[in-house]
Amino acid sequence: MLKDETTKSIEQAIQMDKHGAIIMIELPINAYFEVNSSTIKLLMNQGFQGIYISFQRPFKNVSSFFESEGIDVNNLLFIDAASALSGRQQNVDARCVHISQELDIDELVKAIYQSLPKLKTQKKFIFIDSLTTMALYKPLSEIMRFSEFLMETVRKENEEKVLLVFNVAKDLVQKKFIRNVAFHVDHVISVEENE
Amino acid sequence: MNDIEKISKELNNLPKGWIVMLETSAEKMLEVSLSTIKYLSAEKKYIGIIVLASRPQKNLVQLYQQNNIDIKKILILDCISKSQSMNLEEADNVLYLESVSDLTNISIAITESTQRIPGDKFVFIDTINSMLIHNKPEVFAQFIHGILTKMRIDEVNGLLVSLKGEADKYIYAEIAQLCDRIVKI
Repeated sequence: MLKDETTKSIEQAIQMDKHGAIIMIELPINAYFEVNSSTIKLLMNQGFQGIYISFQRPFKNVSSFFESEGIDVNNLLFIDAASALSGRQQNVDARCVHISQELDIDELVKAIYQSLPKLKTQKKFIFIDSLTTMALYKPLSEIMRFSEFLMETVRKENEEKVLLVFNVAKDLVQKKFIRNVAFHVDHVISVEENE
Repeated sequence: MNDIEKISKELNNLPKGWIVMLETSAEKMLEVSLSTIKYLSAEKKYIGIIVLASRPQKNLVQLYQQNNIDIKKILILDCISKSQSMNLEEADNVLYLESVSDLTNISIAITESTQRIPGDKFVFIDTINSMLIHNKPEVFAQFIHGILTKMRIDEVNGLLVSLKGEADKYIYAEIAQLCDRIVKI
């Protein structure tokens, strides 16, 4: 459950920008996934559909947790980067976009770009569960390139409202590349420890 | 509430394939580890796969016997004895790995063991701090991310033991955010 204050901050960020927004959410490490889940629930309650790019957990683990939290996963598309990075076979599921083990940034970007039109709503989001987990595998220059592409995509979108959400653990926000990304986002929302 | 009551409460109501970080002090580490393994193997009837980086297998087995832990329900992946040129006792439930820094083979051994052993099981990493002494932090975080992902796919439970305030702040946060729960004792 998100605190009222956090819910209000996210809602304000969504409403403030007519054509979408770029948000960084700083999360406590002891409730990281629960807060991710609550944020997804909040966005979907606001009529959004989205792409969940999962670096931390495999598709099945994320989708079953979301289902247990009452989230309609049929309105989500998943890119299971975690399974790809672990070298495991990814689930064959209509909602799960396949990505190769090398996790090529151009391929990832293409997968996101091609998935956006599949969402049947005017309000869409792209949700990155953890930039720092991605950084365990890819050079920082590639992370920056990935972030910049996504930010450009959201900014140039005129017809639809596209929200871009970057999540990062509070204890890791001081990393230089995270500060660089934070510098370019529209809103930084900090979630308190006990949420 | 005593430590074991706290552990059992925290380990309840978690979905299959839970991953928990057990954070404790150096003074309490052994007691907490033994109590947790005893609870999971005796009460929950899980098979334990212990990734041992803090002490050799011989010493661990003695401690288990003293604490009435059924070692038939335990598989030990000993990452210490071989690199220390210790006498390697042959046993069905021990696998000697080259060293704590041999992360590729540790990962393979964990995956093969979890796939071979039927039923409910848990992997117990003893300890993150010991493994970090012998590995580059970023490489170790990548290793942990890889094995936790595979464990989640296979619905294998996991416990990572960490000593309070001892690990590199960034690596601790990187690993902790991957866990379902952090239990501080």
